[in-house]
Amino acid sequence: MVNFTVDEIRSIMDNKFNIRNMSVIAHVDHGKSTLTDSLVSKAGIIAGAKAGEMRFTDTRKDEQERCITIKSTAISLYYEIPKEDLCFIKQSRSPDGETHFLINLIDSPGHVDFSSEVTAALRVTDGALVVVDCVSGVSVQTETVLRQAISERIKPVLFMNKMDLALLTLQCDMEELYQIFQRAIENVNVIIATYEGEDSPMGSISVDPKDGTVGFGSGLHGWAFNLKDFAKMYASKFKIPEEKMMKRLWGDYFFDDASKKWVKMCSGDMTPLKCRGFNKYILTPIYTVFKECQEAEHSPELKEKALKRAEQLGVKLTSEEKETVGKVLLKTFMRKWLPAGDALLQMIVFHLPSPVTAQKYRTELLYEGPMDDPCAVGTKNCDPKGELMMYISKMVPTSDKGRFYAFGRVFSGTCSTGQKVRIMGPNYKPGKKEDLYEKTIQRTILMMGRYIEPIPDVPCGNICGLVGVDQFLVKGGTISTYKDAHNMKVMKFSVSPVVRVAVECKNPAELPKLVEGLKRLAKSDPMVQCTIEESGEHIIAGAGELHLEICLKDLEEDHACIELIKSDPVVSYRETVEEESQIMCLSKSPNKHNRLYMKARPMDPRLQKDIDDGNVTPRQEMKERARYLSDTYEFDVGEARKIWCFGPEGTGPNLLIDVTKGVQYLNEIKDSVVAGFQWATKEARCTVR
Amino acid sequence: MEGVSMFSSNADSVLSRTVGSQALPTDHTQLDVVYEINRTLHWIKENGFKRVALQFPDELMGDAVSVTKQLERLVPEDARVFILGDTSYGSCCVDEVAAQHYNADCLVHYGRSCLSVPARIATQFVFGRLPLDLDDLADKVTVLFPSADANVILVYDSVFQYACDDIVKKLPQYTGISLSVLAIDKDKLQPDDKGSQIIQKCSRVIKIPQDKQLESYSFLYIGSESLTLTNLMYNFQSSTFFSYNPITRTGRKESVNVNKMLMKRYFMIEKAKDANIVGILVGTLGVANYLDILNRLKLLIKNAGKKSYVFIVGKINVAKLANFMEVDVFVLIACAENSLLDSSDFYKPVVTPYEMELACIPGREWTGEYPTAFGQLLEGGSHHMPVPDKVTGEETDVSLVTGRIRRSGVAGDVAMETGSALMVRDDTLTVATQAQSAGEYLSMRSWKGLEQKLGETPVTRAVEGQKGIAMGYQTEPGNP
Repeated sequence: MVNFTVDEIRSIMDNKFNIRNMSVIAHVDHGKSTLTDSLVSKAGIIAGAKAGEMRFTDTRKDEQERCITIKSTAISLYYEIPKEDLCFIKQSRSPDGETHFLINLIDSPGHVDFSSEVTAALRVTDGALVVVDCVSGVSVQTETVLRQAISERIKPVLFMNKMDLALLTLQCDMEELYQIFQRAIENVNVIIATYEGEDSPMGSISVDPKDGTVGFGSGLHGWAFNLKDFAKMYASKFKIPEEKMMKRLWGDYFFDDASKKWVKMCSGDMTPLKCRGFNKYILTPIYTVFKECQEAEHSPELKEKALKRAEQLGVKLTSEEKETVGKVLLKTFMRKWLPAGDALLQMIVFHLPSPVTAQKYRTELLYEGPMDDPCAVGTKNCDPKGELMMYISKMVPTSDKGRFYAFGRVFSGTCSTGQKVRIMGPNYKPGKKEDLYEKTIQRTILMMGRYIEPIPDVPCGNICGLVGVDQFLVKGGTISTYKDAHNMKVMKFSVSPVVRVAVECKNPAELPKLVEGLKRLAKSDPMVQCTIEESGEHIIAGAGELHLEICLKDLEEDHACIELIKSDPVVSYRETVEEESQIMCLSKSPNKHNRLYMKARPMDPRLQKDIDDGNVTPRQEMKERARYLSDTYEFDVGEARKIWCFGPEGTGPNLLIDVTKGVQYLNEIKDSVVAGFQWATKEARCTVR
Repeated sequence: MEGVSMFSSNADSVLSRTVGSQALPTDHTQLDVVYEINRTLHWIKENGFKRVALQFPDELMGDAVSVTKQLERLVPEDARVFILGDTSYGSCCVDEVAAQHYNADCLVHYGRSCLSVPARIATQFVFGRLPLDLDDLADKVTVLFPSADANVILVYDSVFQYACDDIVKKLPQYTGISLSVLAIDKDKLQPDDKGSQIIQKCSRVIKIPQDKQLESYSFLYIGSESLTLTNLMYNFQSSTFFSYNPITRTGRKESVNVNKMLMKRYFMIEKAKDANIVGILVGTLGVANYLDILNRLKLLIKNAGKKSYVFIVGKINVAKLANFMEVDVFVLIACAENSLLDSSDFYKPVVTPYEMELACIPGREWTGEYPTAFGQLLEGGSHHMPVPDKVTGEETDVSLVTGRIRRSGVAGDVAMETGSALMVRDDTLTVATQAQSAGEYLSMRSWKGLEQKLGETPVTRAVEGQKGIAMGYQTEPGNP
C-alpha cells in the first residue's frame, strides 16, 4: 500500500498522460476481486490507518458473505516504472518523462444479473483487464463483457488466472497448459475480431503474449508474470534484446539444444513439451519451484534444495518463512519471485491507453452533439482548461440515508468544489429546459473503495464523485459548464429488466416510506426499474432473480426500513409481429363518422438493429432517413418520408407509417394515433391484460 | 364476420337497451307514508313557502307525478309545487342552482342522500322508505355476530332511517350496540351521559362510551352496496365492516381490500405530484363552502408551481374529460360520496381535494386516514392545514410513474420562467413530452386547427359517395 496526502494524489492527477482508467471484467467466479486485492495490497492509495483490510473492493456486508461482487467499486493505484522502461509505452507519453502513474481501477461484478454495473464501469474507463480462469476457459459472460467493452471502444488486456489450480489440481503437463493458454487466447481474439469494427480507430486490439498484452498467474496466490518479465531475465543470457526475446517465448519457437539455435519446427528427437520456448524457459522453472516446494515437506534435504532454489532465483525469504513447507512455502516463494502487482501494473501501464489517447477516438461515440463544439473539442484533447464535461455513470449511497455520491468521469475541463454547473438528465434536449438544472457542486471527492476523501478539484481524465447533484439525476447524466452542451450518450445495457416482483407494505400508513424507499433504490442501481402501476401495485423490475433478491434486501433493510410483502418474481413477455396481418383492421371513432384502418407488418431485423444502434433515429432529417430506408430496405420513398413515430417511448424499434393517399385533415388525429401507438408498443396488449 | 363486429355495435342492441332500473310505482295507499306527505306539508305551511321545488332521483321518477299531485292538492292556494328536471350532478346532492332557476324558495329532496348541507336554500330531506324485513335482519345478524357482547355500530342507508329504532329493539341481546344518527337529526342524540364520546364523520354521528376505542367496534351497514358504504369504509379504515342488504336479504362481511384500495389512491397522488396542469372539476354547486375549497385549491396548485384550469362539465363521464388531453390530472370537488370516483376508466386520474393537498403541501403526511369530505380540509375542519407559501427554489425527486426527475415548487431561476400564456407559433419546435401550461401544450401538438389549403385542392365534379348511415355504410366490409 502506498500512503499519500490528498495534495500528492492531486498533483499526479494533473499528468493526464500518466493516468490509466481501467476496469476488471470477467465471467463470474473467475477471480476478479481476489486479483484486484493483490493489486491493491501492492499499490493501493489509501489513508494509512485503514491499510491491511481484506477484500478491499467488496464493500458491502452481503458481498463478503456471499463471496460475490454486487456493486462495482473504484480504487486508485499508484505505480512507478523504471525510467528505461518508458520506451515500452507506445502511445504518446508525458513530455517530461514522468514515471509516476495513477491507475483508477474499477472492480466489477461478474454475475450476469449485475452486468449493468459492468456497463457503468466501462463507460468511465478506457481499458479493461479481462480475467479468464484458465481451467474453465472463456465463458459466456466473458464474451458478453468483452463485447460491451469493444462497443464502448475499451482496449482489453488479458490475464489468465488460476494457474495454481491448473498445476496443483489438474496436474496438467507443460504442453497441455500451453495449449490451454493458446486456446483461451485464440477464443478471446475471435470474440474481439467478431465485434471489432473493420477500421477501428483504436488500432488492433487483439491480445498476444508476444506483445505483452497477456498475463499469466494466480490471483489467489498473488503471483503473475508476462513474457516481458522472463524476456528480461533471459535477454542478457541469450544476448538478444528483450523485445525480440519475447517473440521467442511464445508460439512455435523451439530451442534446439544440439545446435543451440532457435528453430520454428520440431525435428529429430525434439518435442514441443521439452523444446517450446514457453515451456522450456518459463514453465519449466515454475514447475520446478512447485515440485520442490511441495516435496520440501518430505525430508530436510529436499527442503534445503527448495531454499537453495530460492536463493538462486533471488528470492529472499525471512527465517520464519523458511520454516514453512508445502503450499504455504510455495505461496510465499512464488509471491516473492513473481509478484502479481508488478506484472499486472506494468501490463496496465504499458498497454492500456491514457485518457489522452483514448478520448481522441472515444469522443465521437460518447458525445451526442456536433464534433466541433467546445465540449467535443475539449473531450477529444482531454483539455483541463476546456469546458467541463463529466458523465455520471452511477450513484453510490452515502452514510447519510437517501443521499448519494454521483460517481463519474471528467472528460473535459476541471470539476471543482463550488463550481456552478448545468446538470443534464437523459431526457434533456439542447435548447429545452426539461431535465436541466443549474446548480453548484457542493464538494468533489475521491472515491477509494469504501473510503472517500474530499479534494478541491479534479482535472479531466480522472474518475471522481460529486456531492450535491444527486437530487437532480435519477441514475446518471451529463454535467457541463457550456450552455449549448449536448448530452453524453446514455449507456446501453446488455440486459433488460425483465424479471418483476410486486411489493406491498403490511401497513398502508407506511406507503410513503415504501415509495421513498423505491425512489432511493431506483437511484442506487443503474438498471433496476421501480414503478407504480395503475392498480397501485409497486413493481420492481430487475435483470434476474439474484439481482432482484439483492434489490429487495436493500429496499427492506436500507432504503425503506419497513416490512414488505413480496410477490413471486415473474418474467414479462412482449409479443412480436411475425407475419403481415391477414385482414385490414378497422376501428371507428366514438361518433362512428371516422374510420381508422391499420395493418401490422414485421420489419427487417437488420432495420431493427439499425434503429437500436442509432443509425436510423427519430431525430434524423426526414428526407435523409427516407433515402437511407429506401436504399437499404426497399421502402417506398414516399412512405418512408411519412413515418409518424417510433415506439415505444418515441425511440424504440417500431415504426408507425402513414400510408394513406389523399386523406384530408389527417393531422387532426395524428396526435391521438401516435399516443395510441406509443401505448400499444409499450404495454404489449396481449401480455398485460 | 365476428372480427368486424368488435369495432362497431349492432343497431338492434341500441333499441332494446334499457336505461337504469325503474322501480315500480308505489301503491297509492302507501304514498302518504313513504313520501311523508304530511311532514312535508307541515313544513311548507309552517315556513310559508310559496314556490316548492321537488327533486327526485331517477329511480323514483315513477312516483313523481303522484307525489306532486298529492302535494298540490293539499298546499295553500298561493303556493306552487313543481318537479325539477335532470340534476346537473349526483342525484344524492341537493341541486340548488336548478331550484334557483325557478325562483324556488324551498326544496324537497327525495330518495337517497349524501346529506351534504346545502348553502343557500331551505331543504327538506325525504328519504323514502324501502321495505325491510326485521325478522330476517335479526336472523342474519345473529349469524354475523355470534357473540352477544360484540361491539357494533349500526349505520344505515338514509332510506332505512325510518326503521332504525325498530332494528335496535329487534336486537335486544346485543348490549354493545350503538346506533348512529344522521347529522341532520343530531338533536335526537341525547346529551344526557357525559361519559361518552361523540364522533361525527360522513354526515353521521356516533356515540360510544368513553372507555372504549373506536377500533374495537365493528360496523353493521344496512342497505345495498353503494357509495355511502365505500365512503364509510374509507373513513373508518381500521374497523371491520359487515353489511345486510334488505333487498337481496343477505348479510356478509365486506371484504374489500382496503390496502389495495389505498395503494391505488396513492398511485393517483403520485400522478398528481407529477402533474403540471391540473384541471379542477366542479362537481357540485350545492355543497356548502364549495367556493372556498375551489379558491383554496387554486392557490395551492399555483404555489406548488403547477397550472390550474377550472372545468364545469355537469355529470362527469369518460368522453367529456377525454376532450382535455392537455390536463395531467383532475381534482374533483363534489360531495363526500361522489368524490371517490373510480377513475380507472378515465384517461387521466381524477383525485379528491385531499389527495391534491397531499401532492401539493410538502408537510402534509399520508397517514392512511382518508377525509373524503372537503369541508374537513377548510379552516376549522379536522384536517385543515395552512396553505404553504410559494415554494421557491425547486425541490426535486424521482417520479415512480415516469421514472424521471420531477420538480415541485416554482422554478426559482428567472431565466427558466418564460411567459407561456401566449405562445409563438413556431413550426420548428420539436415535440417534447411535458408542458407547463395548456398554451405550451398546444404549441407542441402537430395539429392546431383546420388546414384550409386554399387553392391547393383541385376542383372536381361531384361523384357518387357512400350509401347508408355513418354507423355502417353499405359498401363496408362486414355489412351484408
